[in-house]
Amino acid sequence: MLFFSFFKTLTNQTVTIELKNDIRIRGILKSVDQYLNIKLDDIEVLDLDKYPHLSSVKNMFIRGSVVRYVMLPRSEVDVGLLEDATRREAANQAGKAR
Amino acid sequence: MSFFGFDSTLPRDRQGGPSATRGFFENPDPFAEVARARALEDDDAIDFEDTYDGLGDQLDDDQDAFNDDTFGGGGPAGPSTGAVGKDFDFFGKTATVADAIGEEQIRYALQHPQAVPVAGQQAQPAAQPEPAFSKRSGYEKYSDPGFIPDLQAKSSVWGVSQKKPEPMPMSMPAMSAARKMMSLDEVEAQMQMRNQGYQPSPVPQAMHPHLADPSAYMRHPQNIPLPDGFPTIPPEVLRAQLERGGLHPGMPHPPPGMPEMHGPPPGIPGMPPHLMQGNPPPQNMPPQGMRQPGPPPNQRAPQQQQQQQQQPQQQQQVPPPTSRGPNGGLPVITDPQQLVHLTEEQRNAYLVEDAKRAKRNHKIFLLSRGNGLMTPQDKNFITRIQLQQLVAAAGNVADSDPEAVLAEDFYYQVYSQIRGAPRQHPHQPLGHFAQTYLLQTGNRIGGHGNRRAFHSADNHMQRMQQQVQRAVEAAKAKPKNKQLIIEGSLGKISFSNAKAPKPMLNIKRPDSSEGPRPKKLHSNLSLSDRKSILTNIEGVYSGLMSMEDMERTMPPPPEEGDADAIQEHMEWRQKARTLNQKLWQSLKVMEPIVPNSTTPHPFIAFLSYPKGKKAIPRIFRHIDQEQRVTILTMIVVHLDSLDVVHLAQPVPGEAQLSVAMRESIDLFSLAVMPSLLGYVNEAPFNIIIGLLGLVIAQTHVQTVARTKVGLGILTMLLSRAEIVKEAGQASEVDWQQWVAKFNVLFDTLEPALADIFTSSINSGDDMYVWQFLAAVGIGASPEQQQRLVIAVKDRVMETVAYSKTLPADMASSRLGNVNLFMRAIGLDVELLG
Repeated sequence: MLFFSFFKTLTNQTVTIELKNDIRIRGILKSVDQYLNIKLDDIEVLDLDKYPHLSSVKNMFIRGSVVRYVMLPRSEVDVGLLEDATRREAANQAGKAR
Repeated sequence: MSFFGFDSTLPRDRQGGPSATRGFFENPDPFAEVARARALEDDDAIDFEDTYDGLGDQLDDDQDAFNDDTFGGGGPAGPSTGAVGKDFDFFGKTATVADAIGEEQIRYALQHPQAVPVAGQQAQPAAQPEPAFSKRSGYEKYSDPGFIPDLQAKSSVWGVSQKKPEPMPMSMPAMSAARKMMSLDEVEAQMQMRNQGYQPSPVPQAMHPHLADPSAYMRHPQNIPLPDGFPTIPPEVLRAQLERGGLHPGMPHPPPGMPEMHGPPPGIPGMPPHLMQGNPPPQNMPPQGMRQPGPPPNQRAPQQQQQQQQQPQQQQQVPPPTSRGPNGGLPVITDPQQLVHLTEEQRNAYLVEDAKRAKRNHKIFLLSRGNGLMTPQDKNFITRIQLQQLVAAAGNVADSDPEAVLAEDFYYQVYSQIRGAPRQHPHQPLGHFAQTYLLQTGNRIGGHGNRRAFHSADNHMQRMQQQVQRAVEAAKAKPKNKQLIIEGSLGKISFSNAKAPKPMLNIKRPDSSEGPRPKKLHSNLSLSDRKSILTNIEGVYSGLMSMEDMERTMPPPPEEGDADAIQEHMEWRQKARTLNQKLWQSLKVMEPIVPNSTTPHPFIAFLSYPKGKKAIPRIFRHIDQEQRVTILTMIVVHLDSLDVVHLAQPVPGEAQLSVAMRESIDLFSLAVMPSLLGYVNEAPFNIIIGLLGLVIAQTHVQTVARTKVGLGILTMLLSRAEIVKEAGQASEVDWQQWVAKFNVLFDTLEPALADIFTSSINSGDDMYVWQFLAAVGIGASPEQQQRLVIAVKDRVMETVAYSKTLPADMASSRLGNVNLFMRAIGLDVELLG
C-alpha cells in the first residue's frame, strides 16, 4: 500500500506520466486507487505531434498497469518520511512473510 | 378517393389503397387474402367473382412478378401494372390529392388518441404487468387465421357507443374511439363546418412529425401499442384537432363503417400545403375497414355490442392514463360529447390543462423507463458491492484501530499531518470517512426521495452499514487461502484483493532461521565495512521508529493515587528505556576506541553516510543528556577522522572541494551541528573545557582548522566558553583551566591561521572563518589579538578591497563578515577605510 499511500499525497499536484507505449502526459493528478489507476485532469500530451488523436482529450483515466513512470514534483515529496514509510513497509512485508 | 384512378365508391376498390400503402412492407400480408375472402363471404353487397376476377391474370400477363415486392400486397383490385410506375411519383400524386391528405390527417387524429394512451399505459410498467394487454400486439392476426374475430376485438376498442354507456369514469381511449365511430361523410361534413369557424393551423403542425412517420402507424393500423416515437404526440393535441375538425354536439353514434372513405373528402383550408405534400401515407392509411369491405352498419352493430362488452373489461384492467385524471376547476370530461357542450373558454382551459398534464406524463414516462428493472434486492446487492469496494479502498470501516491504519497508510497519514491535509480532518481515521459517506448517502436518499419515508432510508443505510461491517469482519476472521491448486493444472491460482494485489513474482524466501546468521557472523568480523555500516544505520532507524511509535502511545501522566495509571506509566517507561538501550547499542557509540586503527570507529562510520547524519537530530530527541555528551565527545575525539574533516582537506590546485563532499559538509552542518550546538549551549563549563582539551590532545588541530566542520565545532566551544564567562558562571579555577587550554590551542593554530581560509577570496564562502576568528579574538588576550590581526591582516585587506568591486549588497555582506572579526577585537572595517 506504500505506493498508493504515496500517490494519494500527490493529488491535485501536477505530475507527468509516461505510459508503456511512450506517451507522456502531464496533468493534475485527481485521484489514484489501490491498483494505481490514475485520473488526470487538464492534461497536456508531450510530443503532441506524434499523438494528434489526443489533442482534444482534456482528462483521462489511466489504468495502473500501463504506467511506466510517474514524474513527481520534487517539492511535494518528503524524502525522509518516504524513507521511513519504506522501512515500515519493508518491516510489514517481512512480518507478513513469516 | 381518386388517387389511384379507380372508382373509389366501391369498398373493394379500396384494396388499391392498402396495396400501395403496404409498399412500405417487405412482405405482403399472407393472410390478407384469407381475411378478405372471409370478409367477402359476409358481404352481401359484393360479389366475390367481381372482386377477384382477372386481376391475377392481369398481373401474370405482365410478368409483374415483383409487383408484390414493390407494393407489398398484390391486392386483387390493385392498379394495373402500367399504373405502377406512376405511383412512385408520390409528390405529384400527393399534390393532386392534397385534400385527401388533410382528411386523412383528421382521420389519423381521430384514431390516434386511443393509441397514445395505450403507449402511456405501457409506460407504467410497474403499475401493471398487463399480460392480457400485451397480447394485443397487433400481430395476433398473424398467428390467428381468423381475421375477423381479431378485427372485432380491435374495433371494440374503438367502438364506444352511446347505447352502451361505460360503467365507470371512462378512460380516454374509449372516449376518443367513440368519436371516431362516425362515418367519414359525417366527419367530412363536420370538418367543413368547423373549418369555417376554426383555423386549425397550429395543430396540424404539431401533428406533422408524427404523421411523417407513416410506417409506424401503418404497421399498426389497428389499435395496438405504438412504437416509441408515438408517445410523444400529446394526445390532447390530437384531440384538439379532432375537436376542431370534426365533432359537433349531439352527433349520432357513428356507424362502424366509418373508417372507410367514400368519395373525395373536402379539403381543409387551413392545412398547409407542404404538410399535405409531405404526408402521402395518411391518405393511404388503411383502417381495417378498407381491408374488409364493411358490412352495412346495421349488420355490424351486434358485433360491436359484443365487442363493447369485452372492451370495458380490458380497459378496467388498464389504469386510466394519468392525463385523464381529475382536472381541478374544470368539469370532468368523460365523454367527448361533453367537451363539445362546454363553452369556448372552458374547452380551451381544459385543453391547456390537458396539454400540461400530458407533457408531465410524458416526462414521467421518459424518466420511468427503467423503473422496475431492478428489484430492491438487486439494488441492495449493488450497494453492498459498492460499499465493500469503498471499505477495501479506504481502509476498513471496522478497522477503527489507528495503528493499523497507520501501518497500512503511513506515508499518507503522516504526510497529511505534516503538510496540512488534503482532508479536512487529518486525524480522522479513514473508517470515519466511510461512515461519513454512509451518512451522506442516507441523507441524500432521505432528502431526495420523499416517496420513501426518512426512517426507512436511514434504517436501510444503517442496516447496510452493519451488514458491511459484518461482512468485513467475517472476511477478516476467515483464514485466507491465498492459493488454489486445481487438480491437474500446471500452476497455482492465487487470489488477490484490493489490499494485497496478486503478486507477480512468488519468490521463496530463505528460512529466517538460517538466512541472516552468516551475515551476522560476517558483520561481527568487520564492524565498519560498508554493508555492516548500512545495516547498523537501518538498525538505528528501526530503533528510532519504534521509539517514535512508543512515544505516540505514551499514556497520559498519571494522577495521584491512580495506581493503575501509575502502573501503566511505569510499564511504558520501562519499555521506553529498553528501546532506548536498544537504540544506543545499535548506535555503537560505546564501541571501544581502537587507537591507530585503520578502520574508523563504527559511530564515525555511521556518520559518514548521509542517512546517518540525518538520523542524528532524531536520535538526540530520544536520548538523555549523558548520551548526548557521549556522542559529542565521540565526535570531538574523532574530529579529524570524520569524513567531513579528513576528506575535506583542501587540495592544492583545486579551487573547490568535490560536489559530493560539499553536499556532505552542508548536510553535516544542517543535520548534526545544530544538535551538537543545542547540547553545547547548555553544557556545563567543565565539559567544554574537557572537549577543548580532547581536541587539542586527540586531534590534529591544524588539519581540523582547515575544514568548515572542524572550525564550526571549535567556534562552538569557544563561543560557549565566552558566553559562560560573560554570564559569570565560570569559576576562577575553571577559567584558568580554560585559558591554559586556549593558549595551547592558539599557539597550535597560529602558524595555520593563514591557511584556514580555504576558499579563494571571490568564492564568498568564508563567513564561518570570520566567525571562528571572531570567537578566537573575543577570548584572546590583547597580545594574542595582535598576533591574530597580523596573521589575517592580508585577508582582511583583500576582502575590503575586493568588496569595493562588488555590488553594494554583496559588498556589505562581505564587509559584515569581516566586521564580525574586527569588532571582536575592538576594531571596525570602517577604520580601514
